[in-house]
Amino acid sequence: MNFHDQIDRSFDGQLSPGEWDALQEAVIDDPELRTAYVEKRWLHALLEAESARLPALLEETQWTQPAPVKRPLVWLATAAAVVLFGASLVLFAQSRPKSIVATLIEAENCRWAGSDLPTVEGAGLTAGTLALTEGMATLRFASGATVTLEAPSVLVVESAMKCRLIEGSVVADVPESAHGFTIDTARMEVIDLGTRFGVTTTPLGDSNVFVFEGEVKVNRDDLPEPKHVFAGKSLVSKAGATPQQSDQEVRRVEGPAASPGPGWTAVTTATGRGRDAYLRRGDQNGPTGAHPLLMVKHTDLAPNNERRTILSFDLAGIDRASLRSAKLVLKLEPSGLGFSSLVPDSRFAVYGIVDRAAATWSEIDLLWKNAGPLVSEPLSASVATRLAEFEIRKGSPNRLVEVSADAFVDFLRTHPGEIVSLMILRETGESDQQGLVHAFASKEHPTAAAPTLWLQTGSEK
Amino acid sequence: MEDSPLIPPTEPTDPAEHYLVLLNGHERALAAYVHALVPDRLDAEDILQSCKLTMWKQFANYEPGTQFLAWARKIAFHQILNHRRGAKRKPLYSAEPAFLEAVAAEIDRVSDSLADRSEALHDCLRKLPENQRRLVLLRYYEDHDIAAIAKETDRTEAAVYKLLSRLRAALNDCVKARLDSSTA
Repeated sequence: MNFHDQIDRSFDGQLSPGEWDALQEAVIDDPELRTAYVEKRWLHALLEAESARLPALLEETQWTQPAPVKRPLVWLATAAAVVLFGASLVLFAQSRPKSIVATLIEAENCRWAGSDLPTVEGAGLTAGTLALTEGMATLRFASGATVTLEAPSVLVVESAMKCRLIEGSVVADVPESAHGFTIDTARMEVIDLGTRFGVTTTPLGDSNVFVFEGEVKVNRDDLPEPKHVFAGKSLVSKAGATPQQSDQEVRRVEGPAASPGPGWTAVTTATGRGRDAYLRRGDQNGPTGAHPLLMVKHTDLAPNNERRTILSFDLAGIDRASLRSAKLVLKLEPSGLGFSSLVPDSRFAVYGIVDRAAATWSEIDLLWKNAGPLVSEPLSASVATRLAEFEIRKGSPNRLVEVSADAFVDFLRTHPGEIVSLMILRETGESDQQGLVHAFASKEHPTAAAPTLWLQTGSEK
Repeated sequence: MEDSPLIPPTEPTDPAEHYLVLLNGHERALAAYVHALVPDRLDAEDILQSCKLTMWKQFANYEPGTQFLAWARKIAFHQILNHRRGAKRKPLYSAEPAFLEAVAAEIDRVSDSLADRSEALHDCLRKLPENQRRLVLLRYYEDHDIAAIAKETDRTEAAVYKLLSRLRAALNDCVKARLDSSTA
């Protein structure tokens, strides 16, 4: 029997599993057969996909009796629910025997969505799904393995020895008792061989594994043999061409966050001649002026990953002489880089740039290597003056960060010129070089509010 | 590269509306894509559901003006791989990742020639004789397998398979003839 005949048989369940596997092999190997397969399969697929319309197409009414079970509008209703509840996820219910396989031992600043498992600290977990939209949660599996889940993540708990990461980031700490503990993603299967490691995966299928200590074994569909990854190393799996968060992002200037009250004026980095960007010591990705995220990181372990954010606000038309209060509002966003469990509560500093030459930077070409005094360490008083500091707690939700200080008011009042530049840097380092990169929405962010300076002017009433 | 300063005025500004308009325009093509890659019909329908949700969740990452269908296919392909890993119910045939990659690449390659097949197929279905129409409905609308159709039509399974196979070949020939005549 030839493979062309087999193609047709495969549509009607007429092949044995062995014959089906042989057909798959042949389709992979033979381009001509592949073309024939796709041509035949497409017709079959169209008939399946449009089956609901067939009776109408064939003008047959007598066959419109017991239709197969269809779920035509369910997803629309669920999409509407997602619109309403923002980050909610709708997940397939799992049906399996329910025994406790893990315990939720810690839940810091957590918000959950669409989980079919209990989400209170101390809860016993059966097989099922956890969807974490904010915060950080730690599970101890019955095998002894500990898995820390970082929002936003969706994790399917399968057994005491296995879980599946649908999207997000986890760090696993696996004692000897749980060697062989496995984290599955769409692209690869990570099997512990005595270690601490992190796994991230995006809904589009990019998966990364980082090994902090010990060794893991990675099975990937495209690798003939499992790959071993050792401490300090990582393995990156890209899913084809992923849509890039690139400089082609359409700019939608969002209104600033809610006004603190009457008498306040908002100036964002999208206002007038405003600008925002971040600097990265390695300059790996070129200028960042059009990037939707402003990244900040401090590290002594991987110096090229040091990142600082610079913001310029156009204060033209603001009566600065009568300025009474000022505050900076930033929207914290997931950077998708690094693991928050490797960075403690973090302190950030806001500097006002006084060096006039340094403040005339351009979004198009600003790089670490040409940023001159902006990246000197420590920042000298003739370049920038420290205005305020703020803290972001470990596992903090992606909220608005507000910074206000009297020093802001003085700086803004006395600053010569209408463009005011601020620099944000993190002062807290990390315990491993895969530590979290903090990020704030820039003016290019498609949904979140741009960095905003709220100013209160006028005389006291 | 310069940012586009504004969303083109032809596109709705409400993201949900924008999404639904785009989805509506490409839903059938996306459904055919998923059904073409996933051997099991019920799996394909499940994947399509979750795919539409994921697309909505990811919609902020879609760049207006780029090919929505290409973007949707990427997400769908990932959902197919993911579903394969997590499948609780073992389908009769499960597709290997290398096979999926190969078939998906071929679909991409001939994508243009597949685009108009749905309309052509509708015309061809309308031209079918009565007994073949009935077979189409039994197999594809009522989702009967060969054994059930054999029972219902009082034929042997081998005979039913032959009829179905011939029916699909006839439809494919008709579709190709229509496409050739429309491009000629």
